[in-house]
Formats: sequence, C-alpha cells, structure tokens
Amino acid sequence: MRYQEHQWLEEIYKTTLPTVARMVYQMGGHLEMAKDIFQDAVIIYLEKQNKGTLPAHVSPAAYITGIARICCLRKMKQSGRYTSLENISAEIAIPEDYYGPPPVATPLLSYLKAAGKRCLQLLQAFYYDQHSIKEIADDFHFKSLHSASVQKYKCLEKVRTQLQQSNYAETVS
Amino acid sequence: MRKQLADIKEIDQYLLQEMSPAARLVFQARLLISPALRKQVASQQQVIQLATWLGREEKRSQLDEVFHELMQDEIFNHSITSIFK
Repeated sequence: MRYQEHQWLEEIYKTTLPTVARMVYQMGGHLEMAKDIFQDAVIIYLEKQNKGTLPAHVSPAAYITGIARICCLRKMKQSGRYTSLENISAEIAIPEDYYGPPPVATPLLSYLKAAGKRCLQLLQAFYYDQHSIKEIADDFHFKSLHSASVQKYKCLEKVRTQLQQSNYAETVS
Repeated sequence: MRKQLADIKEIDQYLLQEMSPAARLVFQARLLISPALRKQVASQQQVIQLATWLGREEKRSQLDEVFHELMQDEIFNHSITSIFK
C-alpha cells in the first residue's frame, strides 16, 4: 500500500471512526457492525473521489459520516428496525451495485484469480482505481501507451472468454 | 489491431460512454438486431463488475489491516471499545 494512502487511512480512522461508532451504538449496533459500516463508507468515499463526483466544500469526515449513516439505516432496515431511507440525495447515495452478490461464483473467482492474476490487476487498475493508460503503462512496465492499451483489450478478451465458457458450462450442466 | 480486439474496444467505448452521440445511436441499433452482440456486451460488463468487486475486496483488506494495527494502540482501542460498554 502506498505510504501516503496508509497515512490518510490511519488519520480518517482516528478522526471519524469514534463518531461513526457512537452513531452505530445509538442505533443499536455493535463494534463489528460499526467497523464494517465505517469501511463501507470509506470505500464509497474513495470511489467517488476517484470518479470526481464528491460534492464541493464537504470534509472527508463529514461525508464519510453521512454515508455511514445511510449504510447503518440500510442495515437496520434489513433487520426491520428502521424504515426511513427516503430523501437521500444522489451525491451521498450508495452505488447501486455496492451490496450486490459477487459477479461470479466463488470457484470461478478462485480460478480466475489464479489463472489471470496480472490481467485482473490491470483491469482493476483501469476500471476500479480509474488509473489512466499512462499510469498503467508505468505501473505494469509497458514500453508504450499503445502496448498498455492493446494489453487492456487482450485482458478483456481473455477474462470475457473465461466467463462465457463458465456461463456456457453452467447452462449445459 | 485484429478484428476481435477492435470489437472489444468498440464495446468498451460504449460501456464507458465514450462514443459520440451518432456512433452510440448506431451501436444501439445494432444491439437491437444482434443477440450475439448483446451477449458480448453483457459479458464485457460482467468483467468490469468483476474488476470493481475485486477492487473493493482489496480496499477492504487494506482497511482491515490499518484497523488491526490501530487497535494495538491502547488509547485508540479504548476510545472505540468504551463506546459499546
């Protein structure tokens, strides 16, 4: 993990986890739930930061606490304790796919991780971390932007084929 | 670039909303009449969902690592655990 990111995560834990933990406690939750909710909120914050969709003039602590509140209400709603999730602005909403199931079954996931680790890392860098092709060329040691770009498409092809073969095998069986 | 990679690039531009409005309309028309193209788009979208899911998993383990490090510190540990007592 990059040193600066590690430092930032430590700082946000120290400044914001106590606030989130008190909120979760007041809503009837426990420590493990507070930790999970806090982590979800930080992940959502970082994703929005990468995409440049954070609202202006809101501190990370305030934003993370706001997201954590929604995550907590969602968990409580699932357990039938709270029902109010209305009037949440799109700026602070949880991504639609955030609490969805894994996109592929566990055995296939293990296979893909083992067989195509480098490709998955490259695709993750591009689609999740929102790295540019230039950053990918540097990080993955490609000689040119063109090579990095072509490799991205080759990786898409490789993983897409593996997923299609797996979906076909599931249909046949 | 060979044909299949060029097709993958085109689908990628569609999914990332990087096509011009005119090219997008043409692509959407092709989608309507081609089940094979729809299947390719769906599979490629699944790859992006997989990359996103793996990215979140990695971020969560980084956060777990930092949490466990911080919980070794008595003052921090007490400031959190005392809330739930």
